[in-house]
Amino acid sequence: MKFALFLGCQIPVRLKQYETSSKAILERLGVGLVDIEEFNCCGYPLRNIEFKAFLFSSARNLALAEKKKLDVITLCQCCYGTLKKANFLLRENASLRKEVNAVLEREGIPYKGEIEVKHLLSVLDQEVGVEAIKKRIEKPFQGLKIAAHYGCHALRPSQVVRFDDPGTPSIFDRLVEVTGAESIDWLMRLECCGAPLLGSHDELSTEITLKKLNNGRESGADYLCTACTYCQIQFDTVQQMILSQRGLNHPLPSILYPQLLGLSMGINAEPLGLKMNKIPIREIGS
Amino acid sequence: MKLSFSRKVLNWFKALIHSRRFSKSWMGKNLSMIQLMELDACTHCAMCTSHCSVAVAFEGIPNINILPSEKIASIKALASGRPLGERELRDIQEGVYLCTNCYRCTVVCPVEIDLQNLWVKVRELLLQRGIPELSVLSPLSFYRGLMKGETTQGDYEKPLIQAREGIAAQCDLMKKKDKALPLTPTDRKFKSGLSLSAQAKNFSVCFGCQTCTTVCPVVGHYENPQEVLGLLPHQIMHAAGLGLRDLALGSNMLWDCLTCYRCQEQCPRGVSVTDVLYELKNLAVKYVKEKVL
Repeated sequence: MKFALFLGCQIPVRLKQYETSSKAILERLGVGLVDIEEFNCCGYPLRNIEFKAFLFSSARNLALAEKKKLDVITLCQCCYGTLKKANFLLRENASLRKEVNAVLEREGIPYKGEIEVKHLLSVLDQEVGVEAIKKRIEKPFQGLKIAAHYGCHALRPSQVVRFDDPGTPSIFDRLVEVTGAESIDWLMRLECCGAPLLGSHDELSTEITLKKLNNGRESGADYLCTACTYCQIQFDTVQQMILSQRGLNHPLPSILYPQLLGLSMGINAEPLGLKMNKIPIREIGS
Repeated sequence: MKLSFSRKVLNWFKALIHSRRFSKSWMGKNLSMIQLMELDACTHCAMCTSHCSVAVAFEGIPNINILPSEKIASIKALASGRPLGERELRDIQEGVYLCTNCYRCTVVCPVEIDLQNLWVKVRELLLQRGIPELSVLSPLSFYRGLMKGETTQGDYEKPLIQAREGIAAQCDLMKKKDKALPLTPTDRKFKSGLSLSAQAKNFSVCFGCQTCTTVCPVVGHYENPQEVLGLLPHQIMHAAGLGLRDLALGSNMLWDCLTCYRCQEQCPRGVSVTDVLYELKNLAVKYVKEKVL
């Protein structure tokens, strides 16, 4: 089992622990990863500005992976949704494909539409399998309550992403429970984290974030758990910014899924980058 | 490709002498001495461009300033006091904004120019000049949001307000709430542009059930959503159907959309509501760009 690892623009500079923790767990679970240095932006932030700029960006990544005959695994759900969307459009729309390929052919990488885009969670659930993960759990959590944050761009539009049942998904809950933690039921589990509007409408963005955090806390969660770059930065870095601005000191810390799984697999704190989270998660499980 | 230490010192010394000529221009006065020296240290080797995360966007937005090696050349021209037209300034502004702040250019630069911080600095300087830049209303602003503490509240808000005002200024009909709307002639160019787009062509099958608006978390956030957001999602679909460009493009709703795809997921008619909003944003960007200068 081997994938081209798509990190995107944010992880290498703003969320390094997502890369190191994912690599640590995937290596132990027998998932091979190939880094493709030429990968560029997935196109997500360009969608507001110019459709073609988004599509060319996405398509070039797909073509680079196809050239190596590898499916893509993404860690960020916004990258995932964007690459999925481009793959969907390029397969469905021959004239778009032709237009895109006119550009890609200059680099010698026309895209045929033969690869799949997968997210970390779908690879763990469908390719590795919960049973296989269970065998690798060395230190199961006990009595730990986790609020799984599904992430919009993984779930919707379901016709394009085909990640899970968009109304009643269960993949993230399964993967949380395999670590021994309890995946709590909470009302806002499928809602947006607020990150898409950070920097363009901060007030709305942070209100959306706080609503979700409050709901998680009120539902009894010890930690929030994410599997997306933007969601994690929003719930960690941005939550900390909001708390310090407002003089509050009761955060709901957020842990990345591979950090949670890694701890239960007995992996050291170092590769999991626990110290790199802005809101401390070091006491988890103790 | 890294240069030897003595070579680097020599380059820097040369740059220091040259950089004096920048000190009289508006841009030159606002950049640090180090940044001015760095402008001269650039050998235009294009290593940055070949590693740039968004360079390929140039294929969709033909602005040479998207490419870091060309961006720095333009900034150099600006710093040397060469008179540039408003259009050129706007292109540089757009170029410096179309950046995901991934630092790849900075990491690969063989003469170790701190390109990322140069972009940030120039970006902020240009944005204060008053030309609306609609890219600030995209997730490209995420980094700027994280770095909010680095600028004053006023400087931070100004480009955001300017962008919204730039759109409002081109959508006159939004201001005339009581005006009876002429439905003919329809803006056919606008409507057919939307109908032919790859992502938004199915807007016209909307039957106005308001499901999109009902499930929208942004609409749900406000007590009086129309006051803040303008037209709500189902009304925007309707305006698009009627070919009323000003109404379809002029609402804050477009830019306050979280792109959570709830509306699209729930639409009983299968309208790609979120994608229609994306397409309308693209049209607004194009429209304002054409009209402003």
